[in-house]
Amino acid sequence: MRRLLLVLANDVRRHLKAPMAILIFMVIPLGMTGLIGVIFAPQTEGSELPPISVLLVDNDKGLASKLLVGAFDVDQMKEMFQVTVTDEADGRKRMGRGKASAMVVIPEGFTLDLLDAKPVTLLVVKNPSEQFLPDVVEEFMNTMAVMLSGVVQAFAEEVRGIRAMLDRPVESFPWDKLGPEFGKAQKKVVAARTYLDPLILRLKAEETKAAGARTSFTQADLFSAVLPGMAVMFLLFIVQTLMRDIISEREDGKLRRMLTTPLRPIELIGARIAGGWVMGIAVLLVMVAAGTLIFRATWGPLGGFLLLGAVASFWAAAFFALLHALVRNRNQSGAFSAPIILAFSLFGGSMMNLEAMPKAFRTVGILTPNRWFIDGAALLRDGRFPFVPILILAGSGILLLALAVPALRRRTSV
Amino acid sequence: MTMRRAKRILHVAGNDLRIMVGDKAFFFWTLAFPIFFIVMFGLLYKSGENAPAVAELTVVNLDEGRWGGYFVEKIKAPNLTIKTADAEPAEYSRLLVLPADFSARIEARRDQALAFKKRSGASVKAAARVETRLYQSIARVISELVLYGEGDLTKFLDGHPEFRDIVRVESRFPEKTVTVVPSGFDHSIPGTTIQFIMMMVIIYGGVTVLEDRKKGVLARMLFSPLSTADVFQAKLLGRWSLGFLQALMLIVVGKIFFGLNLGSLPLALLVIAVFALAMAALSVFIGSLCTKEDMIIGLAVLLANMFAGLGGCWWPNEIVPPAVRRVAMISPAHWAMDALHKLRFFQGGFADILPNLGVLLALSVVLAVVAGRAFKIRD
Repeated sequence: MRRLLLVLANDVRRHLKAPMAILIFMVIPLGMTGLIGVIFAPQTEGSELPPISVLLVDNDKGLASKLLVGAFDVDQMKEMFQVTVTDEADGRKRMGRGKASAMVVIPEGFTLDLLDAKPVTLLVVKNPSEQFLPDVVEEFMNTMAVMLSGVVQAFAEEVRGIRAMLDRPVESFPWDKLGPEFGKAQKKVVAARTYLDPLILRLKAEETKAAGARTSFTQADLFSAVLPGMAVMFLLFIVQTLMRDIISEREDGKLRRMLTTPLRPIELIGARIAGGWVMGIAVLLVMVAAGTLIFRATWGPLGGFLLLGAVASFWAAAFFALLHALVRNRNQSGAFSAPIILAFSLFGGSMMNLEAMPKAFRTVGILTPNRWFIDGAALLRDGRFPFVPILILAGSGILLLALAVPALRRRTSV
Repeated sequence: MTMRRAKRILHVAGNDLRIMVGDKAFFFWTLAFPIFFIVMFGLLYKSGENAPAVAELTVVNLDEGRWGGYFVEKIKAPNLTIKTADAEPAEYSRLLVLPADFSARIEARRDQALAFKKRSGASVKAAARVETRLYQSIARVISELVLYGEGDLTKFLDGHPEFRDIVRVESRFPEKTVTVVPSGFDHSIPGTTIQFIMMMVIIYGGVTVLEDRKKGVLARMLFSPLSTADVFQAKLLGRWSLGFLQALMLIVVGKIFFGLNLGSLPLALLVIAVFALAMAALSVFIGSLCTKEDMIIGLAVLLANMFAGLGGCWWPNEIVPPAVRRVAMISPAHWAMDALHKLRFFQGGFADILPNLGVLLALSVVLAVVAGRAFKIRD
């Protein structure tokens, strides 16, 4: 045991002397988490989207088109849309270069056609390189179209009156008849107020989690959700790098020399695996500290998270011990390890949200340590103990270790 | 440069490419793994496109009158699937609850707020579609109520003026651009290609420069008629050809299996060629600077991922905040992706991508000069 600890301490010292590679692998998850957090964090209060750039072309310049343009000027809409009023030629030029998410064109004669209750069409030109924002503009315009249609129908008589007024010269217009018309309109407005102020039907939208509980998602929550996935991915890379000593020492003859000392192969194997495990835990601790300081990430009960991290690190050490017992040289180690880690990360949810993945991919993800670590971290954040993830990682880790040790003993014998 | 010297450089570059391509893991990293990414991201983009077609709304209609059913009819739309439930189910993506007194309140002209629950993690696009449809349905019902006037609302459903869509909305893409919605793979293949050119050229290119230096291969090459500058140029060319070959393979696979459309193929290849040149110079620089393989791999993963994330290789640029979009200009991937978007989505020509080519070329020159200064034959 003493010899094992001596080898372990020596390994740790050696790795700490040249820590650049490990440091880079620790910077990557923090950098990626920062990038994802900055991009996907809620942009403004209640909105998950950046302001949508809209070009507005008013070819009508009438009463109805001004109402429509004014709809974009309401406070809530100002936050959502960044509107630029322009002419059609300039708008087309800009859209052809993808300079806005969408262009709304109000046709000539829009107001008069509406007053005549004739069908009118608003044109929405969408940016083909964007997938989401142009649809938001189209749906907003669809809603505006419904509202305008409603107003025109509800005030059909008054609208006809205004139309007649526009058609006649001012001097021949029967001004004395306007009084009763305004009276009727006033009655309708008063009646409409029953439904409009407050709105007789409203939506009370809320976001729920699977358990039905209410949630508000802050940037810190996003960092807390992303960082464990990134951390476990690069934990695998780091432990793999450390465990590669098993191969490189065999290749460059160090192993042969070490076994001429009283050191037994099992002690050397134990030291290598324990080294990967301990360094993995240390790396996770640094990431937890950095994540907390930089991103204000939350981990749930720290003891629980450290236990989960220790089990995940043990799994990684046991897995790469087995892998390095099976491969012949460093090249093979590199060729197999990195694709396996990336596949684990892709299927296990380190690279993208599990819920966004196809169902088959999620099923494959069950076979990866990333999935269980991410699930465990999520449970801890929700205040629950990750019993199942810890059990699965520990159980499969012990199984891997049981396979790795005899295989490594065969490869270590000289 | 004499023809003989050019031949020597080409010979060394070709040999470098042959050695890199001869590596057993080469095809996994340059072809199989990127294709896996392409399929994954292609499906994600595709599911994003399909979200409105399959947008689902679960309605719990507890209404004791007739208005609940009438309102549900108003919500129905071709891009919406409505599921009904007697009580709030455990599993749903979006849920609308019509309370027991829904009809009674409308008939009494009393206002009410309908609970609309969106499950976090479900499609944001589908949720937005459903929410907008609900607002439109509310607007339709309120318009009909206003039209109905002050009459007895208990008799409303026995006969009332129907709502007409007088104002309609038509949507299309700008003229002289695309006519059909680009496929998910048209988004994912260029992004993945650019990302993996960065990753592979820096890793393979950097590590082989390091190994050649450590094993004394570079020093031995100077015993041939090659000068240090020739060796550097050959290394640069070898790494450029690696990146370009990888892009060609991915584009061919994309064309055959995923119907990839890049707009103008020669111009897209020109963009990729200039981008690969910048990455080749970066790989020689990193290979000359680093003394350990792990450092090169770490730096390659860090730079490739940061550049890819900032440059729009992973997610649509539209969802990126304006400030981050400005920062993204430091990423070479941004200029390449922007040029590829101009070609694919706006049917752009040479003049449209000229600024992008200019920036990438300038970057290539700067990186090549820096790499040339850092390039060393021995440690």
